[in-house]
Amino acid sequence: MEEQVNVQKTQLSIGLSSAMNAGELLLTYGAEVSRVEDTVQRIGRACGFDRVDVFTITSYIAATAFLPDGTTMTESRRIKARVTGLGKVEEVNALSRHFCHGEISMEEFRDELRRVRLEKTAPWWLDLLMYMVISFSLSIFLGGTFPDGIASALSGMVLYGMICMSAHLQMNSLIQTSICSAVTAIAVLLLVRLGIGVHPDKIMIGNIMLVIPGMQLTNSLRDMINGDTVSGVLNLSEAILKAVSVALGFAIVLLAGG
Amino acid sequence: MQADIIQTLMGAISSLAFAILFGVRNRKALISIVVGSAIGWAAYIVCQHAGYGKTFGMLASGLTIAAWSEILARIIKTPVVVMLGPMLIPEFPGGGLYYAMYSLIEGDTAHFGETLKLVLAEAGAIALGIIIAAYVAGFLTNLRKAYARKKHR
Repeated sequence: MEEQVNVQKTQLSIGLSSAMNAGELLLTYGAEVSRVEDTVQRIGRACGFDRVDVFTITSYIAATAFLPDGTTMTESRRIKARVTGLGKVEEVNALSRHFCHGEISMEEFRDELRRVRLEKTAPWWLDLLMYMVISFSLSIFLGGTFPDGIASALSGMVLYGMICMSAHLQMNSLIQTSICSAVTAIAVLLLVRLGIGVHPDKIMIGNIMLVIPGMQLTNSLRDMINGDTVSGVLNLSEAILKAVSVALGFAIVLLAGG
Repeated sequence: MQADIIQTLMGAISSLAFAILFGVRNRKALISIVVGSAIGWAAYIVCQHAGYGKTFGMLASGLTIAAWSEILARIIKTPVVVMLGPMLIPEFPGGGLYYAMYSLIEGDTAHFGETLKLVLAEAGAIALGIIIAAYVAGFLTNLRKAYARKKHR
């Protein structure tokens, strides 16, 4: 009897860990706070907990789960860095749906989550290509000519290189964002001097759109609507700081090299 | 007219590229992102031609895109942010941000204030669009749930 209870408890603790891992993945890769809380709660209930209390802000998840015998389990996760990886959000979402509908077992769920976490991201050339496509199309979208688009694609390559380097050095501070922007602005001014592209403003706008925190802004709004005001405000202030540091990076170069 | 078409096309392409950059691989989601982005920008252009201001156009565009993602996300069973983010990013006033900052460093404070006001108005209009769509979606979902509960009883 004692042994059976222990087995059940181990099973439940695996369940809670899996729920928290799912929440961690969602939050890290750009889901809203309410989705994280909802998912952890649903998975917890599906595992057999009576009640699951989850609290999430943009950098932290804490959950306390109540067992049928009246004892509790608590786990928390600290999220250090967040990146936008909507593909992973989608996968975790689908997995948790399958698990809650009883289509996959707890062990399968745990292993699948591990697979999603370790899954390789896109190859570097695809990201680089997307940076170029976005720069090109948005430069034209916002009023540039065709040569401006080409120039923007080229300076988008420089921006991608800078961002990759920052990621490699694990420097993702606001100052780093400014420096990336500044180097890109220098590249744009050089390209215009070389005769590729005509309007430096339209070229730069194509690149700016890549670094403005659009996802964060969207998320902060959705958080605030859902009633998660704390996370909404945190996200919003982070987005504003990032937008300012982008603008600052471009401004420094323009001030110096006009 | 031709310029409008090119612009809409470019917006749709950039939304697709953002989606791929963010790791979206679900083909249905990618297709609806492209279509939704084009429809959203078309809404803005229609408002412009009808003589409404830029801010109103942004509101219409934001609302269209947000409504599209709330509906499509439920149909293809994917989180709303997955749809919303890539479609919305091209609409954000990155251009305005640039011009505001440019006039600031040139010392043209009057122009700076004007552009910044426009940036905030446009961003606010898009935000309002998202808020309205999310509210209506939540309202309808909860209404259906409440109805189901009542029936159950």
